[in-house]
Amino acid sequence: MKERILKKMQCILIPLYLLFITLPASAQFNKVKGKVTDENGKGVPGVSIQVRGSQGGTSTDAAGNFSLNVPNGNETLVASFIGYSTKEISVNNRTTVNITITPDTKALGEVVVVGYGSQLKKEVTGAVQTVNAKELKDLPVSQVTQKLQGRLAGVQINQTTGKPGQGMSVRIRGQLSVSAGSDPLYVIDGFPITGNISSLNPDEIQDISILKDAASTSLYGSRAANGVVLITTKKGRKGQTNVSLNTFAGLQQVPQRGRIQMMDAVEFAQFKKEYYEDAGQPVPAEFQNPSQYEGKNNDWFGALLRTAPLQSYNLTLTSSTDKVSTALVAGVYNQEGVVINNTYKRYSLRMNTDYAISDKVKIGFNLAPSYVFDNTPRTDGDRGTGILFNALHTWPVMPIYDENGQLTEFNRFPESTGNIFDYPNWVRAAYELVNETKTTNLISNTYLQYQPVKGLTLKSTFNIEYLNSKFFFFNPSTATNNINVPIPTTAATIRQNTENVTWLNENLATYSKSFNDHNFELLAGFTNQRFHQDFTRIQADTYTDDRLPTIQGALNINRGGTNNDVNEWSLTSLLSRLTYNYKGKYLFTAAFRSDGSSRFGSANRWGTFPSASVGWVMSDEDFFQKYRKISFAKLRASYGVIGNNNIGNYTQYALVNNTVNAVFGNTVATGAAVTSLANSNLGWETTKQFDAGLDLGLFNDRIQFTYDFYVKNTTNLLYNVQIAQESGFGNFNDNIGEIKFWGHEFAVNTRNTTGKFKWTTNANISFNRNRVLALADGIDRVYGTFHITKVGQPFGQFYGMVAEGVYMNQSDLDKNPQIPGRSTIGSIKLKDVNGDGIITNGGDNDDRAIIGSPFPKFTYGIVNTLQYGNFDLSVVGSGSYGNQLLVRHLYSTANLDGVFNLVKEVKYRFRSEANPGKGFYGTTVGGGNVTGIERDWMNSRFIADASFFTIKNITLGYNLGIKNKVFSSARLYGSIQQVYVFTNYWGGPNPETSAQGDGNGDGGNLSQGIDLSNYPVPRTYTLGINLNF
Amino acid sequence: MKVQIIIAFVVVFAITSCSKSLDVPPETTLSSATFFKTESDFKQAVNAAYVPLRSIVNDRAWVLGEMHSDNTYYYRNILFGNTENYENVADFSIPTANGITTNSNVLNQYRLDYQIIARTNQILAQIDNGDFDAVSKADLKGQALFLRAYAYFELVRYFGKVPLHLTPVTNRSEAALPLSSSDSIYAQIIKDATEASQSLLPKSAQEAGRATSGAAKTLLANVYIEQKKWAEAETLLRDIVNSNEYSLMPDYNDVFSTSTTNKNNAESVFEVQFMEGSGGYSGNFLYNFLPQPMTATELQAITGVSNPQALSGAGASGEGNNAPTPDIIAAYEPEDKRKEASIAYVTLSGSLRENKVYPYIKKYAKIHALYNNTGINWPVYRYAEVLLFLGEVLNEQGKGSEAVTYVNQVRDRAFGTGVSSITTTSQPELRDIIFRERRVELAFENKRWFDLVRSGKAVEVITAYGNRVKSHPEDYYYPAGTVPPNNAFTNIDLVYGLPADEAALNPNF
Repeated sequence: MKERILKKMQCILIPLYLLFITLPASAQFNKVKGKVTDENGKGVPGVSIQVRGSQGGTSTDAAGNFSLNVPNGNETLVASFIGYSTKEISVNNRTTVNITITPDTKALGEVVVVGYGSQLKKEVTGAVQTVNAKELKDLPVSQVTQKLQGRLAGVQINQTTGKPGQGMSVRIRGQLSVSAGSDPLYVIDGFPITGNISSLNPDEIQDISILKDAASTSLYGSRAANGVVLITTKKGRKGQTNVSLNTFAGLQQVPQRGRIQMMDAVEFAQFKKEYYEDAGQPVPAEFQNPSQYEGKNNDWFGALLRTAPLQSYNLTLTSSTDKVSTALVAGVYNQEGVVINNTYKRYSLRMNTDYAISDKVKIGFNLAPSYVFDNTPRTDGDRGTGILFNALHTWPVMPIYDENGQLTEFNRFPESTGNIFDYPNWVRAAYELVNETKTTNLISNTYLQYQPVKGLTLKSTFNIEYLNSKFFFFNPSTATNNINVPIPTTAATIRQNTENVTWLNENLATYSKSFNDHNFELLAGFTNQRFHQDFTRIQADTYTDDRLPTIQGALNINRGGTNNDVNEWSLTSLLSRLTYNYKGKYLFTAAFRSDGSSRFGSANRWGTFPSASVGWVMSDEDFFQKYRKISFAKLRASYGVIGNNNIGNYTQYALVNNTVNAVFGNTVATGAAVTSLANSNLGWETTKQFDAGLDLGLFNDRIQFTYDFYVKNTTNLLYNVQIAQESGFGNFNDNIGEIKFWGHEFAVNTRNTTGKFKWTTNANISFNRNRVLALADGIDRVYGTFHITKVGQPFGQFYGMVAEGVYMNQSDLDKNPQIPGRSTIGSIKLKDVNGDGIITNGGDNDDRAIIGSPFPKFTYGIVNTLQYGNFDLSVVGSGSYGNQLLVRHLYSTANLDGVFNLVKEVKYRFRSEANPGKGFYGTTVGGGNVTGIERDWMNSRFIADASFFTIKNITLGYNLGIKNKVFSSARLYGSIQQVYVFTNYWGGPNPETSAQGDGNGDGGNLSQGIDLSNYPVPRTYTLGINLNF
Repeated sequence: MKVQIIIAFVVVFAITSCSKSLDVPPETTLSSATFFKTESDFKQAVNAAYVPLRSIVNDRAWVLGEMHSDNTYYYRNILFGNTENYENVADFSIPTANGITTNSNVLNQYRLDYQIIARTNQILAQIDNGDFDAVSKADLKGQALFLRAYAYFELVRYFGKVPLHLTPVTNRSEAALPLSSSDSIYAQIIKDATEASQSLLPKSAQEAGRATSGAAKTLLANVYIEQKKWAEAETLLRDIVNSNEYSLMPDYNDVFSTSTTNKNNAESVFEVQFMEGSGGYSGNFLYNFLPQPMTATELQAITGVSNPQALSGAGASGEGNNAPTPDIIAAYEPEDKRKEASIAYVTLSGSLRENKVYPYIKKYAKIHALYNNTGINWPVYRYAEVLLFLGEVLNEQGKGSEAVTYVNQVRDRAFGTGVSSITTTSQPELRDIIFRERRVELAFENKRWFDLVRSGKAVEVITAYGNRVKSHPEDYYYPAGTVPPNNAFTNIDLVYGLPADEAALNPNF
């Protein structure tokens, strides 16, 4: 299998290598000498000198002298040195070329994309972090958010599952909501998209700006509260035509380390034997001799995994003339998952064109179609439905393959062995179930820009996003992902079709004017956006022939699972912004957006979102000039109001469900019931955010430092408030409560060494906190299945019993509080938190307590890049400290009744007073009445520290100093993704996981941090090539 | 110049679209603003008010009304935990503090009854304004009143005091009300049931399965009996008997519906309707009433299903429930044909007990086509109970000789005409006879617990029963070496505690 994949890779890579072999190996060079001096005439050592358009080159010696071979006398030399402007000078057939370089204000002259425009980095007054696509190259992953891990202060990015194309959780400044969404708003080329960012080809990206504070985001009004990610795609650059091919191929594998240690067949049989012996019952024949299973272990989890290949090809063409500039990116991404039969393929194309009709008029259009094919076995989910979870706890004595080498259909031992479940073959489920999604996506932007007079720009844009997603699920009669379903099962299909169309029209006017060191820019505009979704789902079952899973082939259409739906919203907005600065030193920005939304109640239709920010570039002051070591210093402060409108499209209405049908005799009678309460006051969630920041540059900007402090209060949380069900309703949609968030973010970029050996470090650390200040009147807590959200505490804390070992003997049992009717010697001992002498679980005054938090104390990241000659190396790390996970799978994998396979640790359970084990797992004697406590009652044994530091990526690259008629440059690199996870987490391989509603919790933000043994994150080894033509 | 035209066009387009309304109501769901206008609307709303009854009788009522008595117990399967919500009810050990309990069966029963109440309140608040046929309106209103009275009658007997909601809740502040006394709840039930009995159609004119004037009168009579208002009950019960709308089925075996036929038969006064199939209207209580683990073959012998599966872990609690106790089995007199019609035996090859033979409830075990999916109706009131009620109210008023005639109608069917007639007219003797007669005639129909409470014998009977369970666990289906939990039979309250989850949301209790 592995060999086959390697062969495949060779087929792909060998032709590429062949291209190089045919290259001419040498050419005729002339020698050029010279000296590089600074503005004071002093020689500068370590300046890199290159011939333009080539790789390689040299650097100056201690006195600033250099000598270099050039192909001919018409070449141009490029001198570059950190902290200085890059200088280009033509050789003009000279043999001595002296160069003077001047300090660079380029870092500060950098332009940053902000909402509805761009600004000089120096003059930005909000909390904005930018990432250039160059920094993200080489990472062999499918999604841009994966590439951002470890790089951003204040942004927690977790990879919750290893499914290709899925599972990234992005939280900016810890923003959370009870029931409205918490994902940031993604804006691609000015268009706030409604679809999924994961289908965007990362190679299309030019740069990314992350807007964190209210001043930066407030122009996105009622959608800004979770932060905004602005993505700009590639554009043609003036006077250049460039064609490049980027390709990589690799292999992925799930490391052994971190996998959950389950009993093997012998250990399991031994456990079963002891189980019956301890209970004084006869041992079933199957388990009387555990050693009979020697060499017959079945690793069900391992059987679902494989080594899998991935490949990526990207062709980029950029071209620009006086009138037309074009960028074209064509990409193919093909990843097989590490779970068998998992495939992810993406074909994408982007064409960005700008056309200057005249000096005053410009038009442009971007067109970006993509197609994604994804087939994923039903890997994730709780016991019973997720095949990875199911595989974990399937008895290892049950054969995966029968004696003929065929996959078994399902396994069942006699009832007398305690086997109360049918175990279908999960490998068969992975192979035979079809669970595929085909997504076609088209994003297009068109604009017309007109400059009637100098300084005034009028721009109208029209944007359309189209998404069509076809989902097909087929469960043949021979397999199932559900536990306890015997084979043959009832074959069933689901066909689901979703079509979204979003259009956005924006009309903006920008006027900028400068006089006497006063610089103004004024922006005003209005926008309209509308979203329409059509959804159809048909569920059918009972097939006579598995080969034809059509709808017409089914004997039964499942009415309960068949429906269609239309979802719509519209948003009309006015926006304006004033930016003013004096001498580029005193900075001020004020912005305002007003949103009218169909989602808001009729009595509360328009929301206004103002913000203001100020900045002071201290280092431009005269008095500051004596602090020579501080090359740049800026203080920033901002305040603003932003909203979250992810409150559902129709939550304001009282809905009547007309499928509450009755039966009379044998006749169905249509019934209708009011199922929700109307709230005409319903509105957006409001977040008021204050931010203060400091930007510092030290030693000529060799060290750049940024610090931000923020505090924000989110009020009017959309919350489906539980109400007494004597009302006939469970909930009332209301805006209630208040959560306070605050945090500190530090980011530092350093150039540790310059010259021939270059080493830079980017590091960041963030401390995010939250606390619930209020919930609804009369409600001070919200219970989840495993969580509590309580006034005065952080959001969604783990809530349950406090485990204190097991009752070691009769006196231990007698002197400690017990669970009436259930506690025995050897059973779990729980803390009597309320001190009433008995242990109870449930109600407001029981013995549950807060036993952990899914929120980290801090998160951090570090990126090191090193360059020596033609070699470059980068290492990316990302970490989190102080968060915990609920090891939810233990309720099955440590079920002491022996109905499932168990984690190895259960070997050390309490067996008798003489053999009490490690005090973690209790006695098996007494059946579910006893063992059910430690399994079914949420308790602190399930909570595990999930702090981690992961080396996300190591890439080693080599620039081939090639220049010929075909290539202008070529670079070869090897990369390892998900290199190593440093962690004490014992609950599973991925400390970043969070089931978030996939499982047994109540879903959403109230129940974060549940480990259901989801799709593991593989380690990926790749080789890649970048070619420029 | 061209450019200016384009720009003007874009701007105009944008402004016109801007002025479009931001009202985007749901297209694929009705909203309450447009509902409750036509006859059809009200009919649909009434239909929906019946729906919670399915869940009540399928999942809950037998737990709280039958297993919470000496009639049935659970089939302990020691492989299962997390069964306490059922076991505690049968063991009279429901954890209750300050009148509040976390038991999920109690909670769900409470919520389902209020679902009926909320749906009927919506109807009753608006139906008088509806402009449609008066006969139809009276009948629909009567059905809503009947269902509301039925739901409150359940609540008042289970809990004593509960909140009294009579108008629809429209916002959060109206959701939770204080507890009303059982007297005021009974007053409302009597008011609703009286009006219902006057406006509903008789059975012969009503669509089969809906509430009728006879059903409302039976309900009202039951309420009066509960309150020992014998004379008021007598009038109503005589009305029913004299209406000639009802008669006993000749054979006790034919009293209960099958999965597809014999529904709403001549004896049926009110029953909860189920329908077999994938439409979502089926029941599966039969499966909850079978001992486990049962193999597919053993199950098929009982259910006749074409796609049998082994029965283990299916059903509500992971072990079989509603197991007939030795006590109910012994309560049948010799020659009583009802015993064989009500209880049968099955041998479980996979049983962990030495004695692998178990009794199970036979009266609902009708063959059907689909696994875990039946259309067997649940009897709420039937004519046999009307006759026993009438016998009871006559006896309580000292009219023993007339009372006997009604009781004997029921006994004649059970034993054969005149075979085992009651002759005594002694009031206390006859009271005991009727009490026992109700137990066997109405066994497994969720009457036993209410009868025990109403008769004042609950504590005495259950205490003695508890002692039998604890001293002979093997007789109550415990595998050898296992015993009832040590808190069994420690909490013999006459009402259930109010549900904790609701207490958390209602500041009044």
